[in-house]
Amino acid sequence: MSKFFEDVVKADEGEVFDIELEESVLKANRKLADENRKLLNTHGIKAVDVMGSIGAGKTSLIENLVKLLRKRYRIAVFKGDLTTTIDAEKIKRHGVDVVAINTGKECHLDANLVQKAIQRLNLEKIDLLFIENVGNLICPAEFPLGSEKRVVIVSVTEGPYMVTKHPFIFMDAEVVAINKVDLAAAMDVDPNKLKTDVKKINPNASVAFTNCRTGEGVDAVVEALGF
Amino acid sequence: MEFAGRVHEGSITTQIVESVLKEVEQRKAKKVVEVNLIIGSLTFLNPEQVRFWYEMLTKDTVLEGSKLVIEEGEGTVQCSKCGYKGNFKYIDDSAFHVPMPTLQCPKCDGSVKIVSGKDCVIKSVKMLI
Repeated sequence: MSKFFEDVVKADEGEVFDIELEESVLKANRKLADENRKLLNTHGIKAVDVMGSIGAGKTSLIENLVKLLRKRYRIAVFKGDLTTTIDAEKIKRHGVDVVAINTGKECHLDANLVQKAIQRLNLEKIDLLFIENVGNLICPAEFPLGSEKRVVIVSVTEGPYMVTKHPFIFMDAEVVAINKVDLAAAMDVDPNKLKTDVKKINPNASVAFTNCRTGEGVDAVVEALGF
Repeated sequence: MEFAGRVHEGSITTQIVESVLKEVEQRKAKKVVEVNLIIGSLTFLNPEQVRFWYEMLTKDTVLEGSKLVIEEGEGTVQCSKCGYKGNFKYIDDSAFHVPMPTLQCPKCDGSVKIVSGKDCVIKSVKMLI
């Protein structure tokens, strides 16, 4: 064979085609999130995401929100966790429907898991749904779930730089709760500095100072959510 | 895919591989030579980790040994007040080695919305048919 023809494509090898796909990988989740939102809207249900680090106070915030709102709304809570139902049981004591979502090893909830959880609810009997995400300030920002509003909770015990370190999740939030303000002096963290950081990143976010152990300040979160 | 679902790079890369395999099946391709991926700069997908998962997940498939080309998708914002479209306004604080992006409009006192950079797209696939 001539050395000029070494590159000949043999018939049985086939041919290389460049195929345009333009397929969005994150679109699948977004589509499911839109479906969730439509389904909840159809039933007049408002859904609120609660996101924050491990130990920031997501469950305590929801417990307090439930206490303040359960007379006016029929509430259900989705409680995302890796493998336990400890927090789900905690919330259940307040007499609301709780669906525990265990992600196994995944670091966030996705719209598909939320869709499955929605199927467990009697949608005619609910007006308000809180969705507590897995403790994480990074991955949940990538996966919208179909909720109408998002609350991010950050506590002073996480240190002074939590907001600045994770700007994107705060961009997605309508309401930010700065929690454990009773410990601010002991932690030498200024809650007002955290608020300034939030306002710099997302000027439209409402910020509330809370102590979810006593319930102090949670009324401001309710107000900011428009409930 | 039993490896998937530990960090979100795992689940996203599983979706990428599954989408390509679907295309392979439809076109009855023999082998995948190259996959071109755009990862938006505002996603939390670390290209290095996507590569790691890609290698793991393509083992013993027609994608094994294929080249994964990753391009960064630009993040852009738009102001609803003055119409500015472009990059974020960054606040440079000497305490941080990376300037902090904000939703403040760099041109006026309005606020901006993110319009691109939050997606991950399989742009094209080179396959042997």
